[in-house]
Amino acid sequence: MEISPDSWILYEWRGLQLNATIAFTWVVMAVLVIGARAITLRLSAGETVSRWQVMLEVIVSTIRQQIDDVGAQKPDRYLPFIGTLFLFIATANILAIVPGYQPPTGSLSTTAALAICVLIAVPLFSIARRGLAGYLKTYVRPTPFMLPFNIISEVSRTVALAVRLYGNVMSGTVIVGILISVAPFFFPVLMQLLGLLTGLIQAYIFAILAMVYIASASRVHGKTGGDDAPNPEKGD
Amino acid sequence: MQIDWLTVAAQIVNFLVLVWLLQRFLYRPISNAMRRREDRIEERLAEARSARGDAEEEAERLRQERAELAERKEQMLEEARAEADDLRKERAAALRAEMEEKRETWQAQLAQERADFARAVQEQAARELIEITEDVLQDFADADLADRVSRTFVARLENLEEARREKLAQAARDSDEPARVETASPLPAEAKRRLTRAIHDGLSTDLEVQYAETADLVLGVRLAIGDQTVEWSVRRYLDRLENAMTETLKAGGPVPEAAQQTEGADTA
Repeated sequence: MEISPDSWILYEWRGLQLNATIAFTWVVMAVLVIGARAITLRLSAGETVSRWQVMLEVIVSTIRQQIDDVGAQKPDRYLPFIGTLFLFIATANILAIVPGYQPPTGSLSTTAALAICVLIAVPLFSIARRGLAGYLKTYVRPTPFMLPFNIISEVSRTVALAVRLYGNVMSGTVIVGILISVAPFFFPVLMQLLGLLTGLIQAYIFAILAMVYIASASRVHGKTGGDDAPNPEKGD
Repeated sequence: MQIDWLTVAAQIVNFLVLVWLLQRFLYRPISNAMRRREDRIEERLAEARSARGDAEEEAERLRQERAELAERKEQMLEEARAEADDLRKERAAALRAEMEEKRETWQAQLAQERADFARAVQEQAARELIEITEDVLQDFADADLADRVSRTFVARLENLEEARREKLAQAARDSDEPARVETASPLPAEAKRRLTRAIHDGLSTDLEVQYAETADLVLGVRLAIGDQTVEWSVRRYLDRLENAMTETLKAGGPVPEAAQQTEGADTA
Protein backbone atom coordinates (compact mmCIF):
# COMPACT_ATOMS: atom_id res chain seq x y z
CA MET A 1 0.00 0.00 0.00
CA GLU A 2 1.30 3.36 -1.03
CA ILE A 3 1.40 5.89 1.71
CA SER A 4 2.45 8.79 -0.48
CA PRO A 5 1.49 9.35 -4.09
CA ASP A 6 5.04 10.67 -4.56
CA SER A 7 6.33 7.16 -4.90
CA TRP A 8 3.73 6.30 -7.56
CA ILE A 9 5.72 6.98 -10.72
CA LEU A 10 3.56 7.35 -13.78
CA TYR A 11 6.16 8.31 -16.35
CA GLU A 12 9.89 8.59 -16.48
CA TRP A 13 11.94 10.39 -19.05
CA ARG A 14 15.70 10.81 -18.88
CA GLY A 15 15.79 10.67 -15.10
CA LEU A 16 12.85 13.07 -14.70
CA GLN A 17 10.02 11.27 -12.97
CA LEU A 18 6.37 12.28 -13.29
CA ASN A 19 4.83 11.04 -10.06
CA ALA A 20 1.11 10.82 -9.20
CA THR A 21 1.28 13.90 -6.95
CA ILE A 22 2.19 16.21 -9.77
CA ALA A 23 -0.09 14.48 -12.23
CA PHE A 24 -3.15 14.71 -9.97
CA THR A 25 -2.23 18.30 -9.12
CA TRP A 26 -2.47 19.05 -12.80
CA VAL A 27 -5.78 17.30 -12.92
CA VAL A 28 -7.06 19.45 -10.06
CA MET A 29 -5.66 22.56 -11.72
CA ALA A 30 -7.28 21.60 -15.01
CA VAL A 31 -10.63 21.02 -13.33
CA LEU A 32 -10.47 24.36 -11.57
CA VAL A 33 -9.22 26.43 -14.49
CA ILE A 34 -11.44 24.85 -17.12
CA GLY A 35 -14.47 24.99 -14.86
CA ALA A 36 -13.83 28.63 -14.00
CA ARG A 37 -13.12 29.52 -17.59
CA ALA A 38 -16.25 27.75 -18.86
CA ILE A 39 -18.43 29.62 -16.42
CA THR A 40 -16.78 33.03 -16.64
CA LEU A 41 -16.93 32.99 -20.43
CA ARG A 42 -20.63 33.58 -20.19
CA LEU A 43 -20.72 36.02 -17.32
CA SER A 44 -23.74 38.19 -16.98
CA ALA A 45 -23.90 41.57 -15.29
CA GLY A 46 -27.64 41.79 -15.70
CA GLU A 47 -30.54 40.47 -13.69
CA THR A 48 -30.57 36.95 -15.11
CA VAL A 49 -27.58 35.00 -13.82
CA SER A 50 -26.80 31.37 -14.52
CA ARG A 51 -26.70 28.94 -11.60
CA TRP A 52 -23.04 28.21 -12.17
CA GLN A 53 -22.22 31.87 -12.03
CA VAL A 54 -24.23 32.17 -8.86
CA MET A 55 -22.25 29.29 -7.40
CA LEU A 56 -18.94 30.93 -8.28
CA GLU A 57 -20.14 34.25 -6.97
CA VAL A 58 -21.19 32.65 -3.71
CA ILE A 59 -17.81 30.94 -3.37
CA VAL A 60 -15.82 34.06 -4.17
CA SER A 61 -17.88 36.36 -2.00
CA THR A 62 -17.81 33.87 0.89
CA ILE A 63 -14.03 33.65 0.72
CA ARG A 64 -13.79 37.40 0.61
CA GLN A 65 -16.15 37.66 3.56
CA GLN A 66 -14.03 35.19 5.52
CA ILE A 67 -10.88 37.20 4.73
CA ASP A 68 -12.69 40.30 5.85
CA ASP A 69 -13.80 38.61 9.07
CA VAL A 70 -10.22 37.70 9.92
CA GLY A 71 -9.45 41.39 9.87
CA ALA A 72 -7.73 42.20 6.59
CA GLN A 73 -8.62 45.63 5.38
CA LYS A 74 -8.53 44.94 1.66
CA PRO A 75 -9.87 41.44 0.94
CA ASP A 76 -9.26 41.75 -2.80
CA ARG A 77 -5.49 41.87 -2.27
CA TYR A 78 -5.43 38.52 -0.45
CA LEU A 79 -8.26 36.89 -2.40
CA PRO A 80 -6.17 35.21 -5.15
CA PHE A 81 -3.72 33.66 -2.71
CA ILE A 82 -6.07 32.62 0.06
CA GLY A 83 -8.86 31.68 -2.33
CA THR A 84 -6.59 29.51 -4.43
CA LEU A 85 -5.28 27.78 -1.31
CA PHE A 86 -8.81 26.93 -0.26
CA LEU A 87 -10.09 25.96 -3.71
CA PHE A 88 -7.07 23.85 -4.52
CA ILE A 89 -7.09 21.93 -1.25
CA ALA A 90 -10.87 21.54 -1.25
CA THR A 91 -10.99 20.32 -4.84
CA ALA A 92 -8.03 17.99 -4.31
CA ASN A 93 -9.78 16.48 -1.27
CA ILE A 94 -13.27 16.27 -2.82
CA LEU A 95 -11.96 14.51 -5.91
CA ALA A 96 -10.93 11.69 -3.57
CA ILE A 97 -14.34 10.16 -4.18
CA VAL A 98 -13.24 9.43 -7.75
CA PRO A 99 -11.90 5.86 -7.92
CA GLY A 100 -8.22 5.63 -8.78
CA TYR A 101 -7.58 9.19 -7.68
CA GLN A 102 -4.98 9.95 -5.05
CA PRO A 103 -5.33 13.39 -3.45
CA PRO A 104 -2.10 15.35 -3.96
CA THR A 105 -2.67 16.87 -0.54
CA GLY A 106 -1.97 13.43 0.86
CA SER A 107 1.66 13.99 -0.12
CA LEU A 108 3.91 15.74 2.34
CA SER A 109 5.68 17.29 -0.64
CA THR A 110 2.49 19.13 -1.67
CA THR A 111 1.56 20.28 1.81
CA ALA A 112 5.14 21.35 2.40
CA ALA A 113 5.07 23.29 -0.85
CA LEU A 114 1.84 25.04 0.22
CA ALA A 115 3.24 25.75 3.67
CA ILE A 116 6.39 27.18 2.12
CA CYS A 117 4.22 29.38 -0.05
CA VAL A 118 2.48 30.67 3.08
CA LEU A 119 5.86 31.08 4.79
CA ILE A 120 7.04 33.26 1.94
CA ALA A 121 3.73 35.05 1.44
CA VAL A 122 3.52 36.28 5.03
CA PRO A 123 6.66 38.45 4.85
CA LEU A 124 5.87 39.46 1.29
CA PHE A 125 2.42 40.80 2.15
CA SER A 126 3.78 42.35 5.32
CA ILE A 127 6.65 44.06 3.50
CA ALA A 128 4.31 45.20 0.75
CA ARG A 129 2.19 46.80 3.38
CA ARG A 130 4.72 47.96 5.98
CA GLY A 131 8.04 48.07 4.22
CA LEU A 132 11.04 45.86 4.90
CA ALA A 133 12.13 47.59 8.07
CA GLY A 134 8.67 47.43 9.49
CA TYR A 135 8.51 43.73 8.79
CA LEU A 136 11.91 42.98 10.28
CA LYS A 137 11.00 44.87 13.43
CA THR A 138 8.33 42.28 14.14
CA TYR A 139 11.06 39.80 15.03
CA VAL A 140 12.45 41.97 17.83
CA ARG A 141 9.11 42.66 19.42
CA PRO A 142 8.16 42.93 22.15
CA THR A 143 11.95 42.71 22.97
CA PRO A 144 15.04 41.75 20.96
CA PHE A 145 15.27 38.87 23.34
CA MET A 146 12.30 37.34 21.55
CA LEU A 147 14.07 37.18 18.17
CA PRO A 148 14.96 33.46 18.27
CA PHE A 149 11.53 32.53 19.53
CA ASN A 150 9.90 34.50 16.76
CA ILE A 151 12.01 32.73 14.19
CA ILE A 152 11.20 29.37 15.73
CA SER A 153 7.52 30.36 15.68
CA GLU A 154 7.67 31.11 11.97
CA VAL A 155 9.29 27.82 11.16
CA SER A 156 7.22 25.70 13.50
CA ARG A 157 3.91 27.04 12.30
CA THR A 158 4.92 26.37 8.72
CA VAL A 159 5.80 22.82 9.61
CA ALA A 160 2.57 22.56 11.55
CA LEU A 161 0.56 23.72 8.54
CA ALA A 162 2.22 21.19 6.27
CA VAL A 163 1.99 18.28 8.65
CA ARG A 164 -1.59 19.01 9.77
CA LEU A 165 -2.95 18.89 6.23
CA TYR A 166 -0.80 15.99 5.20
CA GLY A 167 -1.68 13.98 8.31
CA ASN A 168 -5.39 14.52 7.97
CA VAL A 169 -5.64 13.69 4.29
CA MET A 170 -3.12 10.85 4.40
CA SER A 171 -4.78 9.35 7.48
CA GLY A 172 -8.13 9.46 5.73
CA THR A 173 -6.75 7.61 2.74
CA VAL A 174 -4.94 5.13 4.91
CA ILE A 175 -7.92 4.47 7.15
CA VAL A 176 -10.13 3.81 4.15
CA GLY A 177 -7.49 1.41 2.78
CA ILE A 178 -7.26 -0.45 6.05
CA LEU A 179 -11.05 -0.58 6.51
CA ILE A 180 -11.52 -2.02 3.03
CA SER A 181 -9.32 -4.94 4.02
CA VAL A 182 -11.09 -5.39 7.38
CA ALA A 183 -14.73 -4.54 6.65
CA PRO A 184 -15.23 -4.18 2.94
CA PHE A 185 -18.94 -3.10 3.10
CA PHE A 186 -20.52 0.17 4.25
CA PHE A 187 -17.75 1.30 6.57
CA PRO A 188 -15.48 2.54 3.79
CA VAL A 189 -18.39 4.59 2.43
CA LEU A 190 -18.97 6.23 5.79
CA MET A 191 -15.30 6.85 6.19
CA GLN A 192 -15.14 8.38 2.72
CA LEU A 193 -18.01 10.69 3.63
CA LEU A 194 -16.16 11.59 6.77
CA GLY A 195 -13.05 12.04 4.63
CA LEU A 196 -14.93 14.56 2.42
CA LEU A 197 -15.97 16.51 5.48
CA THR A 198 -12.49 16.38 6.89
CA GLY A 199 -11.01 17.45 3.57
CA LEU A 200 -13.25 20.52 3.37
CA ILE A 201 -12.59 21.42 6.98
CA GLN A 202 -8.85 21.07 6.41
CA ALA A 203 -9.03 23.28 3.34
CA TYR A 204 -10.89 25.87 5.37
CA ILE A 205 -8.44 25.60 8.30
CA PHE A 206 -5.42 25.90 6.04
CA ALA A 207 -6.73 28.96 4.24
CA ILE A 208 -7.94 30.68 7.38
CA LEU A 209 -4.68 30.03 9.25
CA ALA A 210 -2.69 31.41 6.32
CA MET A 211 -4.89 34.50 6.38
CA VAL A 212 -4.51 34.83 10.14
CA TYR A 213 -0.73 34.66 9.83
CA ILE A 214 -0.69 37.25 7.07
CA ALA A 215 -3.14 39.51 8.87
CA SER A 216 -1.29 39.31 12.17
CA ALA A 217 2.04 40.02 10.48
CA SER A 218 0.49 43.06 8.85
CA ARG A 219 -1.38 44.24 11.88
CA VAL A 220 0.84 43.53 14.85
CA HIS A 221 3.16 46.42 14.12
CA GLY A 222 0.44 49.00 14.21
CA LYS A 223 -0.65 47.83 17.66
CA THR A 224 2.69 47.21 19.38
CA GLY A 225 4.56 49.98 17.58
CA GLY A 226 2.38 52.57 19.25
CA ASP A 227 1.55 54.32 15.96
CA ASP A 228 -2.02 53.43 15.40
CA ALA A 229 -2.34 55.94 12.60
CA PRO A 230 -2.64 54.35 9.16
CA ASN A 231 0.79 53.84 7.65
CA PRO A 232 1.60 54.73 4.08
CA GLU A 233 1.04 51.71 1.95
CA LYS A 234 4.39 51.13 0.33
CA GLY A 235 4.64 48.93 -2.75
CA ASP A 236 0.90 48.50 -2.97
CA MET B 1 7.31 10.91 6.11
CA GLN B 2 9.12 11.52 2.94
CA ILE B 3 9.60 14.76 1.13
CA ASP B 4 10.63 14.77 -2.50
CA TRP B 5 12.12 18.23 -2.83
CA LEU B 6 11.83 18.15 -6.58
CA THR B 7 8.13 17.51 -6.21
CA VAL B 8 7.94 20.27 -3.63
CA ALA B 9 9.46 22.71 -6.09
CA ALA B 10 7.16 21.53 -8.83
CA GLN B 11 4.16 21.91 -6.55
CA ILE B 12 5.20 25.42 -5.59
CA VAL B 13 5.37 26.30 -9.25
CA ASN B 14 2.09 24.52 -9.88
CA PHE B 15 0.47 26.45 -7.07
CA LEU B 16 1.74 29.79 -8.27
CA VAL B 17 0.59 29.00 -11.79
CA LEU B 18 -2.80 28.06 -10.41
CA VAL B 19 -2.95 31.31 -8.46
CA TRP B 20 -2.24 33.25 -11.64
CA LEU B 21 -4.70 31.24 -13.72
CA LEU B 22 -7.49 31.51 -11.20
CA GLN B 23 -6.82 35.20 -10.72
CA ARG B 24 -7.18 35.61 -14.45
CA PHE B 25 -10.10 33.30 -15.11
CA LEU B 26 -12.02 33.30 -11.87
CA TYR B 27 -11.52 36.04 -9.31
CA ARG B 28 -11.15 39.00 -11.60
CA PRO B 29 -14.08 38.23 -13.97
CA ILE B 30 -16.35 37.28 -11.12
CA SER B 31 -15.42 40.32 -9.08
CA ASN B 32 -15.87 42.55 -12.08
CA ALA B 33 -19.23 41.02 -12.91
CA MET B 34 -20.39 41.41 -9.33
CA ARG B 35 -19.19 44.97 -9.17
CA ARG B 36 -20.88 45.78 -12.44
CA ARG B 37 -24.09 44.27 -11.25
CA GLU B 38 -23.88 46.09 -7.95
CA ASP B 39 -23.30 49.33 -9.81
CA ARG B 40 -26.21 48.55 -12.03
CA ILE B 41 -28.46 47.69 -9.14
CA GLU B 42 -27.38 50.84 -7.36
CA GLU B 43 -28.13 52.79 -10.49
CA ARG B 44 -31.51 51.14 -10.84
CA LEU B 45 -32.26 51.80 -7.22
CA ALA B 46 -31.31 55.42 -7.64
CA GLU B 47 -33.49 55.59 -10.72
CA ALA B 48 -36.32 53.92 -8.86
CA ARG B 49 -35.90 56.31 -5.95
CA SER B 50 -35.91 59.23 -8.30
CA ALA B 51 -38.91 57.88 -10.18
CA ARG B 52 -40.65 57.23 -6.93
CA GLY B 53 -39.93 60.75 -5.78
CA ASP B 54 -41.27 62.07 -9.06
CA ALA B 55 -44.32 59.87 -8.80
CA GLU B 56 -44.94 60.99 -5.24
CA GLU B 57 -44.63 64.61 -6.27
CA GLU B 58 -46.97 63.98 -9.15
CA ALA B 59 -49.39 62.18 -6.87
CA GLU B 60 -49.24 65.02 -4.39
CA ARG B 61 -49.87 67.52 -7.15
CA LEU B 62 -52.77 65.49 -8.48
CA ARG B 63 -54.19 65.14 -5.00
CA GLN B 64 -54.06 68.88 -4.54
CA GLU B 65 -55.61 69.45 -7.93
CA ARG B 66 -58.39 67.04 -7.13
CA ALA B 67 -59.03 68.71 -3.81
CA GLU B 68 -59.12 72.07 -5.52
CA LEU B 69 -61.48 70.75 -8.13
CA ALA B 70 -63.77 69.28 -5.51
CA GLU B 71 -63.69 72.53 -3.61
CA ARG B 72 -64.41 74.51 -6.73
CA LYS B 73 -67.21 72.14 -7.69
CA GLU B 74 -68.74 72.48 -4.26
CA GLN B 75 -68.42 76.24 -4.48
CA MET B 76 -69.97 76.34 -7.92
CA LEU B 77 -72.78 74.08 -6.80
CA GLU B 78 -73.35 76.32 -3.82
CA GLU B 79 -73.36 79.37 -6.02
CA ALA B 80 -75.70 77.76 -8.50
CA ARG B 81 -77.97 76.67 -5.72
CA ALA B 82 -78.02 80.15 -4.23
CA GLU B 83 -78.59 81.63 -7.67
CA ALA B 84 -81.43 79.24 -8.35
CA ASP B 85 -82.90 80.01 -4.96
CA ASP B 86 -82.68 83.73 -5.61
CA LEU B 87 -84.17 83.27 -9.05
CA ARG B 88 -86.96 81.19 -7.63
CA LYS B 89 -87.69 83.75 -4.93
CA GLU B 90 -87.50 86.54 -7.45
CA ARG B 91 -89.84 84.73 -9.82
CA ALA B 92 -92.19 83.92 -6.99
CA ALA B 93 -92.16 87.53 -5.82
CA ALA B 94 -92.67 88.76 -9.37
CA LEU B 95 -95.47 86.31 -9.88
CA ARG B 96 -97.04 87.29 -6.60
CA ALA B 97 -96.72 90.96 -7.44
CA GLU B 98 -98.18 90.33 -10.85
CA MET B 99 -101.04 88.41 -9.39
CA GLU B 100 -101.57 91.11 -6.80
CA GLU B 101 -101.55 93.71 -9.52
CA LYS B 102 -103.98 91.71 -11.62
CA ARG B 103 -106.18 91.20 -8.65
CA GLU B 104 -106.11 94.91 -7.87
CA THR B 105 -106.76 95.72 -11.51
CA TRP B 106 -109.59 93.29 -11.55
CA GLN B 107 -110.95 94.64 -8.31
CA ALA B 108 -110.61 98.18 -9.60
CA GLN B 109 -112.27 97.12 -12.80
CA LEU B 110 -114.97 95.41 -10.85
CA ALA B 111 -115.45 98.48 -8.69
CA GLN B 112 -115.39 100.66 -11.76
CA GLU B 113 -117.96 98.48 -13.47
CA ARG B 114 -120.06 98.45 -10.39
CA ALA B 115 -119.79 102.23 -10.11
CA ASP B 116 -120.50 102.63 -13.82
CA PHE B 117 -123.48 100.40 -13.54
CA ALA B 118 -124.73 102.27 -10.48
CA ARG B 119 -124.14 105.57 -12.19
CA ALA B 120 -125.94 104.41 -15.29
CA VAL B 121 -128.79 103.25 -13.16
CA GLN B 122 -128.79 106.51 -11.26
CA GLU B 123 -128.57 108.57 -14.44
CA GLN B 124 -131.36 106.59 -15.95
CA ALA B 125 -133.39 107.06 -12.78
CA ALA B 126 -132.67 110.79 -12.76
CA ARG B 127 -133.61 111.15 -16.39
CA GLU B 128 -136.76 109.21 -15.76
CA LEU B 129 -137.50 111.41 -12.76
CA ILE B 130 -136.95 114.57 -14.75
CA GLU B 131 -139.09 113.35 -17.61
CA ILE B 132 -141.83 112.32 -15.27
CA THR B 133 -141.67 115.67 -13.52
CA GLU B 134 -141.69 117.41 -16.88
CA ASP B 135 -144.65 115.35 -18.08
CA VAL B 136 -146.55 115.92 -14.85
CA LEU B 137 -145.94 119.67 -14.96
CA GLN B 138 -146.90 119.88 -18.64
CA ASP B 139 -150.07 117.96 -17.90
CA PHE B 140 -150.91 120.55 -15.26
CA ALA B 141 -149.85 123.57 -17.35
CA ASP B 142 -153.10 125.18 -18.13
CA ALA B 143 -154.25 128.87 -18.00
CA ASP B 144 -154.70 128.83 -14.29
CA LEU B 145 -151.31 127.63 -13.70
CA ALA B 146 -149.92 130.16 -16.19
CA ASP B 147 -151.68 132.84 -14.27
CA ARG B 148 -150.24 131.59 -11.02
CA VAL B 149 -146.84 131.47 -12.60
CA SER B 150 -147.15 135.04 -13.86
CA ARG B 151 -148.10 136.14 -10.38
CA THR B 152 -145.14 134.40 -8.90
CA PHE B 153 -142.86 135.95 -11.52
CA VAL B 154 -144.32 139.42 -10.82
CA ALA B 155 -143.70 138.92 -7.12
CA ARG B 156 -140.19 137.82 -7.81
CA LEU B 157 -139.59 140.77 -10.09
CA GLU B 158 -140.77 143.12 -7.41
CA ASN B 159 -138.53 141.51 -4.84
CA LEU B 160 -135.50 141.60 -7.09
CA GLU B 161 -132.33 142.84 -5.38
CA GLU B 162 -131.26 146.38 -6.15
CA ALA B 163 -128.08 145.73 -8.12
CA ARG B 164 -129.86 143.30 -10.32
CA ARG B 165 -132.76 145.58 -10.89
CA GLU B 166 -130.31 148.38 -11.75
CA LYS B 167 -128.61 146.21 -14.30
CA LEU B 168 -131.92 145.29 -15.87
CA ALA B 169 -133.01 148.95 -15.97
CA GLN B 170 -129.69 149.91 -17.56
CA ALA B 171 -130.18 147.21 -20.18
CA ALA B 172 -133.72 148.44 -20.82
CA ARG B 173 -132.41 151.97 -21.36
CA ASP B 174 -129.56 150.94 -23.64
CA SER B 175 -131.46 148.42 -25.70
CA ASP B 176 -133.38 149.38 -28.76
CA GLU B 177 -135.20 146.10 -28.90
CA PRO B 178 -138.30 145.44 -26.89
CA ALA B 179 -138.32 143.34 -23.73
CA ARG B 180 -139.20 139.75 -24.52
CA VAL B 181 -141.34 137.60 -22.23
CA GLU B 182 -141.38 133.91 -22.96
CA THR B 183 -143.74 131.44 -21.43
CA ALA B 184 -144.37 127.72 -21.91
CA SER B 185 -148.05 128.12 -22.49
CA PRO B 186 -150.04 131.12 -23.73
CA LEU B 187 -150.80 133.65 -20.97
CA PRO B 188 -154.27 135.06 -20.43
CA ALA B 189 -154.62 138.76 -21.15
CA GLU B 190 -154.93 139.56 -17.46
CA ALA B 191 -151.64 137.95 -16.73
CA LYS B 192 -149.99 139.72 -19.66
CA ARG B 193 -151.22 143.10 -18.37
CA ARG B 194 -150.02 142.34 -14.90
CA LEU B 195 -146.62 141.41 -16.21
CA THR B 196 -146.37 144.46 -18.49
CA ARG B 197 -147.32 146.69 -15.62
CA ALA B 198 -144.84 145.08 -13.31
CA ILE B 199 -142.06 145.55 -15.90
CA HIS B 200 -143.04 149.14 -16.47
CA ASP B 201 -143.21 149.78 -12.76
CA GLY B 202 -140.03 148.07 -11.86
CA LEU B 203 -137.75 148.86 -14.78
CA SER B 204 -138.75 151.27 -17.47
CA THR B 205 -142.09 152.80 -18.22
CA ASP B 206 -141.65 153.13 -21.95
CA LEU B 207 -140.33 149.67 -22.52
CA GLU B 208 -142.19 147.67 -25.13
CA VAL B 209 -143.00 144.11 -24.10
CA GLN B 210 -143.36 141.22 -26.52
CA TYR B 211 -144.83 137.88 -25.55
CA ALA B 212 -143.72 134.58 -26.98
CA GLU B 213 -144.19 130.92 -26.21
CA THR B 214 -141.43 128.39 -25.92
CA ALA B 215 -141.99 124.80 -24.93
CA ASP B 216 -138.60 124.18 -23.38
CA LEU B 217 -139.45 126.20 -20.25
CA VAL B 218 -141.97 123.51 -19.30
CA LEU B 219 -143.56 125.85 -16.84
CA GLY B 220 -142.49 129.40 -15.97
CA VAL B 221 -141.56 132.80 -17.35
CA ARG B 222 -138.38 134.23 -18.90
CA LEU B 223 -137.80 137.98 -19.26
CA ALA B 224 -135.01 138.98 -21.64
CA ILE B 225 -133.94 142.67 -21.96
CA GLY B 226 -130.95 143.08 -24.21
CA ASP B 227 -128.31 140.79 -22.82
CA GLN B 228 -129.96 140.60 -19.37
CA THR B 229 -132.34 137.80 -18.50
CA VAL B 230 -134.60 137.04 -15.56
CA GLU B 231 -136.19 133.65 -15.52
CA TRP B 232 -138.34 131.66 -13.26
CA SER B 233 -139.17 128.30 -14.73
CA VAL B 234 -139.38 124.64 -13.96
CA ARG B 235 -136.77 124.18 -16.73
CA ARG B 236 -134.21 125.91 -14.58
CA TYR B 237 -135.14 123.78 -11.63
CA LEU B 238 -134.90 120.74 -13.78
CA ASP B 239 -131.56 121.87 -15.19
CA ARG B 240 -130.29 122.49 -11.71
CA LEU B 241 -131.60 119.14 -10.58
CA GLU B 242 -129.87 117.51 -13.49
CA ASN B 243 -126.61 119.32 -12.74
CA ALA B 244 -126.78 118.36 -9.10
CA MET B 245 -127.50 114.78 -10.03
CA THR B 246 -124.64 114.64 -12.50
CA GLU B 247 -122.24 116.08 -9.95
CA THR B 248 -123.44 113.75 -7.27
CA LEU B 249 -123.18 110.75 -9.55
CA LYS B 250 -119.67 111.83 -10.53
CA ALA B 251 -118.75 112.13 -6.85
CA GLY B 252 -120.38 108.71 -6.26
CA GLY B 253 -122.87 110.15 -3.79
CA PRO B 254 -126.52 109.21 -3.49
CA VAL B 255 -128.87 110.76 -5.96
CA PRO B 256 -131.84 111.72 -3.77
CA GLU B 257 -129.81 114.23 -1.75
CA ALA B 258 -128.87 116.08 -4.93
CA ALA B 259 -132.49 116.30 -5.91
CA GLN B 260 -133.37 117.83 -2.53
CA GLN B 261 -130.77 120.54 -2.98
CA THR B 262 -132.59 122.01 -6.02
CA GLU B 263 -135.10 123.70 -3.76
CA GLY B 264 -135.11 127.47 -3.89
CA ALA B 265 -133.75 127.95 -7.37
CA ASP B 266 -132.81 131.43 -8.23
CA THR B 267 -132.19 133.59 -11.23
CA ALA B 268 -128.89 133.47 -12.94
